[in-house]
Amino acid sequence: MNEHLSTERIIDFVHGELSPADDALAHAHLAACSDCREAYEIEALLSEALRSAAKAEELEMPSLVTAAVWDRIRQAKPSSASRLAAWLRPAYAIPVAAALLVGGFFASPLAHRAGPTIDATYYLEAHAAQAAQTPLSERSSSLVLETSMIANPTSSAFVDASADGLATTGAIDDVR
Amino acid sequence: MTCARSPVARTLRGAALGAVLAASLGGACRAAGTLAGPDPVALLRASVAAPESVSYVGQVETVRFSSNRATATIVKIEHRAPALTRRWFVAPEALYGDYVITRGMAMYQFDTKREKVTVSHVPANDEQLATTSNFDRVLQNYRPIFDGAGTVADRATTSIVLINKYTGERALRVWIDRDTHLVLKKEEYHASGAVASQTRFEELRYTGSIPDGIFSTDAPPGYERAAGQDITAPTSDVDAAIKNAGFSPYRPGDLPQGFMLARAEVTTVNGVRTLHLIYSDGLRSISLFENDANAAADFGALRPKTTHFEGHAADYIEDGPTTLLTWKEHGLAFALVGDLLLPELVQIARSVVP
Repeated sequence: MNEHLSTERIIDFVHGELSPADDALAHAHLAACSDCREAYEIEALLSEALRSAAKAEELEMPSLVTAAVWDRIRQAKPSSASRLAAWLRPAYAIPVAAALLVGGFFASPLAHRAGPTIDATYYLEAHAAQAAQTPLSERSSSLVLETSMIANPTSSAFVDASADGLATTGAIDDVR
Repeated sequence: MTCARSPVARTLRGAALGAVLAASLGGACRAAGTLAGPDPVALLRASVAAPESVSYVGQVETVRFSSNRATATIVKIEHRAPALTRRWFVAPEALYGDYVITRGMAMYQFDTKREKVTVSHVPANDEQLATTSNFDRVLQNYRPIFDGAGTVADRATTSIVLINKYTGERALRVWIDRDTHLVLKKEEYHASGAVASQTRFEELRYTGSIPDGIFSTDAPPGYERAAGQDITAPTSDVDAAIKNAGFSPYRPGDLPQGFMLARAEVTTVNGVRTLHLIYSDGLRSISLFENDANAAADFGALRPKTTHFEGHAADYIEDGPTTLLTWKEHGLAFALVGDLLLPELVQIARSVVP
Protein backbone atom coordinates (compact mmCIF):
# COMPACT_ATOMS: atom_id res chain seq x y z
CA MET A 1 0.00 0.00 0.00
CA ASN A 2 1.75 3.21 -1.25
CA GLU A 3 -1.10 5.66 -0.71
CA HIS A 4 -1.09 7.50 2.61
CA LEU A 5 -3.72 6.51 5.08
CA SER A 6 -6.61 8.93 5.38
CA THR A 7 -7.40 10.47 8.73
CA GLU A 8 -10.64 8.42 9.00
CA ARG A 9 -8.71 5.25 8.29
CA ILE A 10 -6.10 6.07 10.92
CA ILE A 11 -8.90 6.75 13.46
CA ASP A 12 -10.53 3.45 12.61
CA PHE A 13 -7.18 1.73 13.00
CA VAL A 14 -6.64 3.30 16.40
CA HIS A 15 -10.03 2.14 17.57
CA GLY A 16 -9.70 -1.31 15.96
CA GLU A 17 -12.60 -0.75 13.67
CA LEU A 18 -10.94 -2.05 10.48
CA SER A 19 -11.45 -5.46 8.99
CA PRO A 20 -8.60 -7.88 9.60
CA ALA A 21 -7.31 -7.48 6.05
CA ASP A 22 -7.45 -3.66 6.12
CA ASP A 23 -6.01 -3.68 9.63
CA ALA A 24 -3.06 -5.73 8.37
CA LEU A 25 -2.47 -3.39 5.39
CA ALA A 26 -2.69 -0.32 7.61
CA HIS A 27 -0.27 -1.84 10.10
CA ALA A 28 2.22 -2.58 7.27
CA HIS A 29 1.90 0.91 5.85
CA LEU A 30 2.46 2.56 9.21
CA ALA A 31 5.63 0.54 9.61
CA ALA A 32 7.00 1.89 6.33
CA CYS A 33 5.53 5.44 6.15
CA SER A 34 6.84 7.96 8.68
CA ASP A 35 4.23 10.60 7.73
CA CYS A 36 1.34 8.27 8.36
CA ARG A 37 3.02 6.95 11.56
CA GLU A 38 3.28 10.55 12.84
CA ALA A 39 -0.38 11.11 12.03
CA TYR A 40 -1.22 7.81 13.78
CA GLU A 41 0.71 8.81 16.95
CA ILE A 42 -1.08 12.16 17.07
CA GLU A 43 -4.41 10.42 16.69
CA ALA A 44 -3.48 7.85 19.33
CA LEU A 45 -2.47 10.56 21.80
CA LEU A 46 -5.66 12.46 21.10
CA SER A 47 -7.81 9.38 21.64
CA GLU A 48 -6.04 8.56 24.88
CA ALA A 49 -6.47 12.15 26.06
CA LEU A 50 -10.19 12.06 25.29
CA ARG A 51 -10.61 8.69 27.04
CA SER A 52 -8.82 9.93 30.15
CA ALA A 53 -10.86 13.09 30.27
CA ALA A 54 -14.11 11.17 29.91
CA LYS A 55 -13.07 8.76 32.67
CA ALA A 56 -12.22 11.63 35.01
CA GLU A 57 -15.57 13.25 34.51
CA GLU A 58 -17.53 10.01 34.75
CA LEU A 59 -20.21 10.35 37.47
CA GLU A 60 -21.11 7.39 39.67
CA MET A 61 -24.85 6.71 39.99
CA PRO A 62 -26.11 7.73 43.39
CA SER A 63 -26.30 4.76 45.80
CA LEU A 64 -30.05 5.21 46.38
CA VAL A 65 -30.65 5.10 42.66
CA THR A 66 -28.47 2.00 42.37
CA ALA A 67 -30.36 0.33 45.22
CA ALA A 68 -33.69 1.19 43.63
CA VAL A 69 -32.58 -0.28 40.33
CA TRP A 70 -31.46 -3.51 42.00
CA ASP A 71 -34.69 -3.62 43.95
CA ARG A 72 -36.68 -3.39 40.75
CA ILE A 73 -34.56 -6.14 39.27
CA ARG A 74 -35.09 -8.44 42.26
CA GLN A 75 -38.81 -7.78 42.32
CA ALA A 76 -39.24 -8.31 38.66
CA LYS A 77 -41.56 -11.32 38.22
CA PRO A 78 -39.95 -13.98 36.14
CA SER A 79 -41.94 -15.54 33.39
CA SER A 80 -43.78 -18.81 33.97
CA ALA A 81 -41.27 -20.61 31.86
CA SER A 82 -38.32 -19.25 33.78
CA ARG A 83 -40.01 -20.10 37.08
CA LEU A 84 -40.58 -23.64 35.93
CA ALA A 85 -37.01 -23.87 34.75
CA ALA A 86 -35.82 -22.63 38.12
CA TRP A 87 -37.83 -25.32 39.96
CA LEU A 88 -36.36 -27.96 37.74
CA ARG A 89 -32.83 -27.04 38.76
CA PRO A 90 -31.33 -29.83 40.89
CA ALA A 91 -30.92 -27.54 43.88
CA TYR A 92 -34.72 -27.33 44.10
CA ALA A 93 -35.89 -30.43 42.35
CA ILE A 94 -34.15 -32.92 44.63
CA PRO A 95 -35.42 -31.49 47.97
CA VAL A 96 -38.92 -31.08 46.53
CA ALA A 97 -38.96 -34.67 45.36
CA ALA A 98 -37.77 -35.81 48.79
CA ALA A 99 -40.50 -33.77 50.50
CA LEU A 100 -43.14 -35.27 48.24
CA LEU A 101 -41.92 -38.75 49.07
CA VAL A 102 -41.98 -38.07 52.81
CA GLY A 103 -45.41 -36.44 52.58
CA GLY A 104 -46.70 -39.33 50.54
CA PHE A 105 -45.45 -41.74 53.13
CA PHE A 106 -47.19 -39.99 56.00
CA ALA A 107 -50.39 -39.71 53.99
CA SER A 108 -50.34 -43.37 53.17
CA PRO A 109 -51.61 -46.26 55.29
CA LEU A 110 -47.97 -47.18 55.88
CA ALA A 111 -47.55 -44.12 58.03
CA HIS A 112 -50.77 -44.75 59.89
CA ARG A 113 -49.41 -48.04 61.02
CA ALA A 114 -46.79 -46.04 62.94
CA GLY A 115 -49.61 -44.68 65.13
CA PRO A 116 -52.12 -41.88 64.88
CA THR A 117 -52.28 -39.21 67.53
CA ILE A 118 -54.96 -37.69 69.71
CA ASP A 119 -54.91 -33.98 70.42
CA ALA A 120 -54.02 -33.51 74.09
CA THR A 121 -56.60 -30.76 74.25
CA TYR A 122 -59.29 -33.36 73.67
CA TYR A 123 -58.34 -35.06 76.93
CA LEU A 124 -58.49 -31.78 78.85
CA GLU A 125 -61.80 -30.78 77.31
CA ALA A 126 -63.46 -34.14 77.78
CA HIS A 127 -62.33 -34.25 81.39
CA ALA A 128 -63.44 -30.68 82.06
CA ALA A 129 -66.84 -31.41 80.54
CA GLN A 130 -67.33 -34.32 82.91
CA ALA A 131 -65.88 -32.51 85.90
CA ALA A 132 -68.38 -29.72 85.31
CA GLN A 133 -71.15 -32.11 86.25
CA THR A 134 -70.17 -32.19 89.89
CA PRO A 135 -72.58 -30.13 91.98
CA LEU A 136 -70.10 -27.53 93.21
CA SER A 137 -67.95 -27.26 90.14
CA GLU A 138 -67.74 -24.12 88.07
CA ARG A 139 -71.34 -23.72 87.05
CA SER A 140 -72.11 -24.07 83.39
CA SER A 141 -69.23 -24.87 81.13
CA SER A 142 -67.03 -21.89 81.69
CA LEU A 143 -64.25 -24.20 82.77
CA VAL A 144 -64.56 -26.19 79.57
CA LEU A 145 -64.48 -23.00 77.61
CA GLU A 146 -61.43 -21.61 79.33
CA THR A 147 -59.62 -24.89 78.92
CA SER A 148 -60.29 -24.77 75.22
CA MET A 149 -59.48 -21.14 74.80
CA ILE A 150 -56.42 -20.83 76.95
CA ALA A 151 -54.77 -24.20 76.88
CA ASN A 152 -54.83 -24.45 73.14
CA PRO A 153 -56.17 -21.53 71.14
CA THR A 154 -55.90 -23.56 67.97
CA SER A 155 -57.56 -26.67 69.26
CA SER A 156 -58.17 -29.17 66.55
CA ALA A 157 -59.29 -32.27 68.37
CA PHE A 158 -61.93 -34.18 66.51
CA VAL A 159 -64.54 -36.53 67.73
CA ASP A 160 -65.46 -38.56 64.71
CA ALA A 161 -68.47 -40.55 65.63
CA SER A 162 -70.52 -41.95 68.41
CA ALA A 163 -70.17 -45.53 69.44
CA ASP A 164 -73.21 -47.59 70.18
CA GLY A 165 -75.14 -44.73 71.62
CA LEU A 166 -72.77 -44.40 74.53
CA ALA A 167 -70.36 -41.89 73.23
CA THR A 168 -69.92 -38.30 72.44
CA THR A 169 -71.42 -37.34 69.15
CA GLY A 170 -70.52 -34.58 66.77
CA ALA A 171 -67.18 -32.94 66.37
CA ILE A 172 -64.98 -30.88 68.57
CA ASP A 173 -64.14 -28.76 65.65
CA ASP A 174 -61.83 -26.03 66.63
CA VAL A 175 -63.69 -25.14 69.79
CA ARG A 176 -61.84 -21.89 69.97
CA MET B 1 -32.29 -34.57 123.93
CA THR B 2 -34.79 -33.38 121.43
CA CYS B 3 -36.42 -30.02 121.43
CA ALA B 4 -39.82 -31.58 121.95
CA ARG B 5 -38.74 -32.87 125.37
CA SER B 6 -37.38 -29.61 126.71
CA PRO B 7 -39.45 -27.73 129.30
CA VAL B 8 -39.60 -24.69 127.08
CA ALA B 9 -40.79 -26.72 124.16
CA ARG B 10 -43.39 -28.46 126.29
CA THR B 11 -44.65 -25.09 127.47
CA LEU B 12 -44.84 -23.70 123.96
CA ARG B 13 -46.45 -26.89 122.67
CA GLY B 14 -49.05 -26.71 125.44
CA ALA B 15 -49.75 -23.09 124.72
CA ALA B 16 -50.15 -23.79 121.01
CA LEU B 17 -52.51 -26.67 121.70
CA GLY B 18 -54.55 -24.46 123.98
CA ALA B 19 -54.72 -21.77 121.37
CA VAL B 20 -55.92 -24.25 118.78
CA LEU B 21 -58.58 -25.60 121.12
CA ALA B 22 -59.69 -22.11 122.03
CA ALA B 23 -59.89 -21.16 118.37
CA SER B 24 -61.89 -24.28 117.61
CA LEU B 25 -64.29 -23.67 120.47
CA GLY B 26 -64.58 -20.05 119.49
CA GLY B 27 -65.35 -21.00 115.91
CA ALA B 28 -67.90 -23.54 117.02
CA CYS B 29 -69.57 -21.04 119.35
CA ARG B 30 -69.57 -18.42 116.62
CA ALA B 31 -71.10 -20.88 114.18
CA ALA B 32 -73.64 -22.02 116.73
CA GLY B 33 -74.46 -18.46 117.67
CA THR B 34 -74.90 -16.98 114.25
CA LEU B 35 -75.89 -19.92 112.13
CA ALA B 36 -78.08 -21.92 114.43
CA GLY B 37 -80.83 -22.17 111.82
CA PRO B 38 -80.18 -24.20 108.69
CA ASP B 39 -77.80 -27.10 108.67
CA PRO B 40 -74.82 -26.89 106.31
CA VAL B 41 -76.13 -29.64 104.06
CA ALA B 42 -79.37 -27.79 103.47
CA LEU B 43 -77.46 -24.58 102.83
CA LEU B 44 -75.21 -26.32 100.30
CA ARG B 45 -78.20 -27.76 98.50
CA ALA B 46 -79.79 -24.33 98.45
CA SER B 47 -76.60 -22.83 96.99
CA VAL B 48 -76.54 -25.32 94.16
CA ALA B 49 -80.14 -24.54 93.30
CA ALA B 50 -79.85 -20.76 93.78
CA PRO B 51 -79.08 -19.83 90.14
CA GLU B 52 -82.43 -21.30 89.15
CA SER B 53 -84.24 -18.60 91.08
CA VAL B 54 -81.84 -15.67 91.40
CA SER B 55 -81.01 -13.19 88.62
CA TYR B 56 -77.95 -10.98 88.81
CA VAL B 57 -75.24 -9.07 87.00
CA GLY B 58 -71.66 -8.88 88.17
CA GLN B 59 -68.02 -9.50 87.55
CA VAL B 60 -66.26 -12.74 88.46
CA GLU B 61 -62.55 -13.35 88.81
CA THR B 62 -61.19 -16.88 88.59
CA VAL B 63 -57.60 -17.81 89.39
CA ARG B 64 -56.38 -21.34 88.75
CA PHE B 65 -53.08 -22.44 90.23
CA SER B 66 -50.73 -25.06 88.88
CA SER B 67 -47.67 -26.18 90.78
CA ASN B 68 -45.67 -23.11 89.91
CA ARG B 69 -47.87 -20.60 88.13
CA ALA B 70 -51.36 -19.19 87.99
CA THR B 71 -53.80 -18.27 85.27
CA ALA B 72 -56.61 -15.83 85.79
CA THR B 73 -59.72 -14.79 83.96
CA ILE B 74 -62.16 -11.99 84.60
CA VAL B 75 -65.65 -12.17 83.15
CA LYS B 76 -68.63 -9.92 83.32
CA ILE B 77 -71.67 -12.04 83.91
CA GLU B 78 -75.38 -11.56 83.42
CA HIS B 79 -77.68 -14.29 84.64
CA ARG B 80 -81.44 -14.40 84.38
CA ALA B 81 -83.07 -17.23 86.23
CA PRO B 82 -83.54 -19.97 85.61
CA ALA B 83 -81.13 -20.75 82.79
CA LEU B 84 -79.97 -17.74 80.76
CA THR B 85 -76.39 -16.64 81.25
CA ARG B 86 -73.95 -14.49 79.34
CA ARG B 87 -70.27 -14.39 80.22
CA TRP B 88 -68.22 -11.65 78.63
CA PHE B 89 -64.45 -11.95 78.93
CA VAL B 90 -62.59 -8.93 80.22
CA ALA B 91 -59.24 -10.67 80.74
CA PRO B 92 -56.91 -12.10 79.59
CA GLU B 93 -56.39 -9.92 76.58
CA ALA B 94 -56.46 -12.93 74.23
CA LEU B 95 -60.09 -13.51 75.19
CA TYR B 96 -61.13 -9.88 75.59
CA GLY B 97 -64.46 -9.22 73.99
CA ASP B 98 -65.33 -12.87 73.45
CA TYR B 99 -68.52 -13.98 75.11
CA VAL B 100 -70.49 -17.11 75.86
CA ILE B 101 -74.23 -17.42 76.12
CA THR B 102 -75.77 -20.45 77.74
CA ARG B 103 -79.44 -21.18 77.29
CA GLY B 104 -80.18 -24.25 79.31
CA MET B 105 -77.99 -26.98 77.91
CA ALA B 106 -77.03 -25.07 74.75
CA MET B 107 -73.86 -23.04 74.73
CA TYR B 108 -72.97 -20.38 72.15
CA GLN B 109 -69.36 -19.28 72.07
CA PHE B 110 -68.77 -16.01 70.22
CA ASP B 111 -65.23 -15.58 69.01
CA THR B 112 -65.18 -11.92 68.08
CA LYS B 113 -61.67 -11.98 66.66
CA ARG B 114 -62.32 -14.81 64.24
CA GLU B 115 -65.95 -13.81 63.73
CA LYS B 116 -67.16 -17.27 64.57
CA VAL B 117 -69.91 -18.64 66.76
CA THR B 118 -69.67 -22.23 67.97
CA VAL B 119 -72.78 -23.95 69.21
CA SER B 120 -72.38 -26.80 71.67
CA HIS B 121 -74.58 -28.95 73.80
CA VAL B 122 -73.40 -29.61 77.34
CA PRO B 123 -75.64 -31.56 79.70
CA ALA B 124 -73.60 -30.31 82.65
CA ASN B 125 -75.51 -27.07 82.27
CA ASP B 126 -78.55 -28.91 83.46
CA GLU B 127 -78.52 -27.97 87.12
CA GLN B 128 -81.07 -30.57 88.03
CA LEU B 129 -79.01 -33.36 86.54
CA ALA B 130 -75.95 -32.30 88.47
CA THR B 131 -77.82 -31.88 91.70
CA THR B 132 -79.62 -35.15 91.77
CA SER B 133 -76.89 -37.40 90.43
CA ASN B 134 -73.88 -36.26 92.37
CA PHE B 135 -74.77 -34.39 95.51
CA ASP B 136 -75.30 -37.50 97.59
CA ARG B 137 -71.83 -38.72 96.67
CA VAL B 138 -70.38 -35.46 97.93
CA LEU B 139 -71.95 -36.05 101.30
CA GLN B 140 -70.68 -39.62 101.36
CA ASN B 141 -67.09 -38.43 101.15
CA TYR B 142 -67.10 -34.94 102.57
CA ARG B 143 -68.30 -33.41 105.80
CA PRO B 144 -69.69 -29.88 105.45
CA ILE B 145 -69.11 -27.63 108.42
CA PHE B 146 -69.82 -23.98 109.05
CA ASP B 147 -66.75 -21.76 108.96
CA GLY B 148 -68.10 -18.44 110.06
CA ALA B 149 -69.45 -15.30 108.48
CA GLY B 150 -67.86 -12.95 106.02
CA THR B 151 -68.40 -10.40 103.31
CA VAL B 152 -67.91 -10.87 99.58
CA ALA B 153 -68.73 -8.17 97.04
CA ASP B 154 -70.36 -6.18 99.85
CA ARG B 155 -72.75 -9.03 100.58
CA ALA B 156 -72.99 -10.86 103.90
CA THR B 157 -71.95 -14.47 103.49
CA THR B 158 -71.85 -17.73 105.35
CA SER B 159 -68.82 -19.89 104.77
CA ILE B 160 -68.95 -23.67 104.59
CA VAL B 161 -65.92 -25.94 104.37
CA LEU B 162 -66.06 -29.43 102.96
CA ILE B 163 -63.70 -31.73 104.85
CA ASN B 164 -62.54 -34.97 103.28
CA LYS B 165 -63.76 -37.73 105.60
CA TYR B 166 -60.76 -39.94 104.85
CA THR B 167 -57.89 -37.49 105.03
CA GLY B 168 -59.34 -34.83 107.29
CA GLU B 169 -58.13 -32.20 104.83
CA ARG B 170 -60.35 -29.43 103.60
CA ALA B 171 -61.14 -29.78 99.92
CA LEU B 172 -63.47 -26.89 99.25
CA ARG B 173 -64.66 -23.71 100.88
CA VAL B 174 -67.63 -21.73 99.68
CA TRP B 175 -68.96 -18.36 100.73
CA ILE B 176 -72.74 -18.33 100.33
CA ASP B 177 -74.88 -15.21 100.19
CA ARG B 178 -76.97 -15.21 103.35
CA ASP B 179 -80.04 -13.89 101.61
CA THR B 180 -80.00 -15.42 98.14
CA HIS B 181 -77.81 -18.49 98.82
CA LEU B 182 -75.80 -17.79 95.70
CA VAL B 183 -72.17 -18.93 95.96
CA LEU B 184 -70.17 -15.71 95.86
CA LYS B 185 -66.71 -17.12 96.43
CA LYS B 186 -65.17 -20.54 96.22
CA GLU B 187 -61.75 -22.00 96.94
CA GLU B 188 -60.67 -25.50 96.00
CA TYR B 189 -57.65 -27.07 97.66
CA HIS B 190 -55.09 -29.69 96.74
CA ALA B 191 -54.50 -32.57 99.13
CA SER B 192 -51.42 -30.69 100.29
CA GLY B 193 -53.61 -27.82 101.45
CA ALA B 194 -52.46 -25.50 98.69
CA VAL B 195 -55.16 -23.51 96.94
CA ALA B 196 -55.97 -25.06 93.56
CA SER B 197 -58.41 -22.45 92.34
CA GLN B 198 -60.33 -19.46 93.56
CA THR B 199 -63.46 -17.94 92.09
CA ARG B 200 -65.15 -14.87 93.49
CA PHE B 201 -67.51 -12.09 92.60
CA GLU B 202 -65.80 -8.73 92.55
CA GLU B 203 -69.04 -6.93 91.82
CA LEU B 204 -72.60 -8.13 92.17
CA ARG B 205 -76.04 -6.64 91.75
CA TYR B 206 -79.24 -8.60 91.93
CA THR B 207 -81.75 -7.57 89.31
CA GLY B 208 -84.65 -9.07 87.47
CA SER B 209 -84.58 -6.62 84.60
CA ILE B 210 -81.92 -7.81 82.21
CA PRO B 211 -82.86 -7.04 78.59
CA ASP B 212 -83.57 -9.98 76.30
CA GLY B 213 -81.01 -8.68 73.83
CA ILE B 214 -78.22 -9.56 76.26
CA PHE B 215 -78.95 -13.23 75.70
CA SER B 216 -79.47 -13.06 71.96
CA THR B 217 -77.76 -15.92 70.20
CA ASP B 218 -78.08 -14.37 66.76
CA ALA B 219 -74.71 -14.33 65.09
CA PRO B 220 -73.54 -10.84 64.09
CA PRO B 221 -73.34 -10.24 60.32
CA GLY B 222 -70.45 -12.05 58.71
CA TYR B 223 -69.98 -14.55 61.51
CA GLU B 224 -69.30 -18.16 60.65
CA ARG B 225 -71.51 -20.60 62.52
CA ALA B 226 -69.92 -23.90 63.53
CA ALA B 227 -71.00 -27.00 65.40
CA GLY B 228 -69.01 -27.42 68.56
CA GLN B 229 -68.62 -29.94 71.27
CA ASP B 230 -71.79 -31.94 71.72
CA ILE B 231 -71.39 -33.89 74.88
CA THR B 232 -73.88 -36.45 75.98
CA ALA B 233 -73.86 -37.75 79.49
CA PRO B 234 -71.66 -40.84 79.69
CA THR B 235 -73.42 -43.98 80.68
CA SER B 236 -73.40 -45.24 84.23
CA ASP B 237 -73.50 -48.75 82.76
CA VAL B 238 -69.76 -49.00 82.91
CA ASP B 239 -69.61 -52.67 82.00
CA ALA B 240 -71.47 -52.03 78.75
CA ALA B 241 -69.08 -49.24 77.82
CA ILE B 242 -66.04 -51.37 78.57
CA LYS B 243 -67.47 -54.18 76.49
CA ASN B 244 -67.91 -51.78 73.59
CA ALA B 245 -64.36 -50.55 73.78
CA GLY B 246 -63.17 -53.45 71.67
CA PHE B 247 -60.16 -54.21 73.83
CA SER B 248 -59.41 -55.25 77.39
CA PRO B 249 -58.84 -52.08 79.35
CA TYR B 250 -57.02 -51.64 82.63
CA ARG B 251 -58.36 -49.89 85.70
CA PRO B 252 -56.34 -48.13 88.36
CA GLY B 253 -55.97 -50.11 91.54
CA ASP B 254 -54.85 -47.20 93.70
CA LEU B 255 -57.19 -44.23 93.80
CA PRO B 256 -57.64 -41.62 96.50
CA GLN B 257 -60.17 -42.82 99.05
CA GLY B 258 -63.74 -42.10 98.15
CA PHE B 259 -63.24 -42.26 94.41
CA MET B 260 -65.28 -44.78 92.47
CA LEU B 261 -65.88 -45.52 88.82
CA ALA B 262 -68.92 -43.42 88.12
CA ARG B 263 -69.36 -43.28 84.36
CA ALA B 264 -67.78 -44.37 81.11
CA GLU B 265 -67.99 -43.59 77.43
CA VAL B 266 -66.51 -44.92 74.22
CA THR B 267 -65.59 -42.28 71.67
CA THR B 268 -63.82 -42.33 68.34
CA VAL B 269 -61.28 -39.55 68.30
CA ASN B 270 -59.23 -38.94 65.17
CA GLY B 271 -60.21 -42.41 64.06
CA VAL B 272 -59.09 -43.95 67.33
CA ARG B 273 -61.59 -45.79 69.48
CA THR B 274 -61.04 -44.39 72.94
CA LEU B 275 -62.43 -45.55 76.27
CA HIS B 276 -63.02 -42.82 78.82
CA LEU B 277 -63.45 -43.94 82.42
CA ILE B 278 -64.61 -41.27 84.86
CA TYR B 279 -63.85 -41.70 88.55
CA SER B 280 -65.39 -39.33 91.05
CA ASP B 281 -65.77 -38.75 94.74
CA GLY B 282 -68.61 -36.34 94.10
CA LEU B 283 -66.47 -33.25 94.35
CA ARG B 284 -63.46 -34.10 92.25
CA SER B 285 -63.10 -36.33 89.23
CA ILE B 286 -60.34 -38.25 87.51
CA SER B 287 -60.47 -39.31 83.86
CA LEU B 288 -58.58 -42.28 82.47
CA PHE B 289 -58.46 -42.57 78.66
CA GLU B 290 -57.24 -45.73 76.98
CA ASN B 291 -56.79 -46.85 73.38
CA ASP B 292 -55.19 -49.88 71.79
CA ALA B 293 -54.21 -48.07 68.57
CA ASN B 294 -50.87 -46.89 69.91
CA ALA B 295 -52.21 -43.36 69.51
CA ALA B 296 -50.00 -41.05 71.50
CA ALA B 297 -51.11 -37.65 72.69
CA ASP B 298 -50.29 -34.78 70.38
CA PHE B 299 -49.40 -31.89 72.66
CA GLY B 300 -48.96 -29.42 69.83
CA ALA B 301 -47.77 -26.15 71.29
CA LEU B 302 -48.50 -27.16 74.88
CA ARG B 303 -44.86 -28.04 75.61
CA PRO B 304 -45.12 -31.16 77.76
CA LYS B 305 -42.52 -32.21 80.31
CA THR B 306 -41.38 -35.75 80.87
CA THR B 307 -41.40 -37.80 84.04
CA HIS B 308 -40.52 -41.45 84.59
CA PHE B 309 -42.12 -44.24 86.58
CA GLU B 310 -41.66 -47.99 86.46
CA GLY B 311 -39.41 -47.62 83.43
CA HIS B 312 -41.98 -45.62 81.47
CA ALA B 313 -41.39 -42.17 80.05
CA ALA B 314 -44.58 -40.20 80.58
CA ASP B 315 -45.39 -36.76 79.21
CA TYR B 316 -47.39 -34.33 81.31
CA ILE B 317 -48.71 -30.81 81.30
CA GLU B 318 -50.39 -28.70 83.94
CA ASP B 319 -53.42 -26.61 83.06
CA GLY B 320 -54.06 -24.69 86.23
CA PRO B 321 -54.78 -27.29 88.91
CA THR B 322 -55.50 -29.90 86.24
CA THR B 323 -52.71 -32.29 85.30
CA LEU B 324 -52.64 -34.45 82.18
CA LEU B 325 -50.27 -37.43 82.19
CA THR B 326 -49.83 -39.69 79.16
CA TRP B 327 -47.83 -42.86 78.67
CA LYS B 328 -47.82 -46.21 76.87
CA GLU B 329 -47.82 -49.56 78.55
CA HIS B 330 -48.75 -53.12 77.65
CA GLY B 331 -49.75 -52.16 74.11
CA LEU B 332 -52.16 -49.47 75.26
CA ALA B 333 -51.86 -45.70 75.23
CA PHE B 334 -53.09 -44.07 78.45
CA ALA B 335 -54.02 -40.52 79.39
CA LEU B 336 -54.83 -39.65 82.98
CA VAL B 337 -56.40 -36.29 83.83
CA GLY B 338 -57.36 -34.89 87.19
CA ASP B 339 -57.26 -31.88 89.45
CA LEU B 340 -54.34 -33.45 91.23
CA LEU B 341 -50.68 -32.66 91.59
CA LEU B 342 -48.24 -34.67 89.50
CA PRO B 343 -47.02 -37.01 92.29
CA GLU B 344 -50.63 -37.98 93.07
CA LEU B 345 -51.37 -38.64 89.42
CA VAL B 346 -48.18 -40.67 88.97
CA GLN B 347 -49.16 -42.78 91.97
CA ILE B 348 -52.46 -43.59 90.28
CA ALA B 349 -50.72 -44.23 86.96
CA ARG B 350 -48.43 -46.78 88.60
CA SER B 351 -51.45 -48.80 89.62
CA VAL B 352 -53.16 -48.87 86.22
CA VAL B 353 -51.18 -51.83 84.91
CA PRO B 354 -50.18 -54.02 87.85
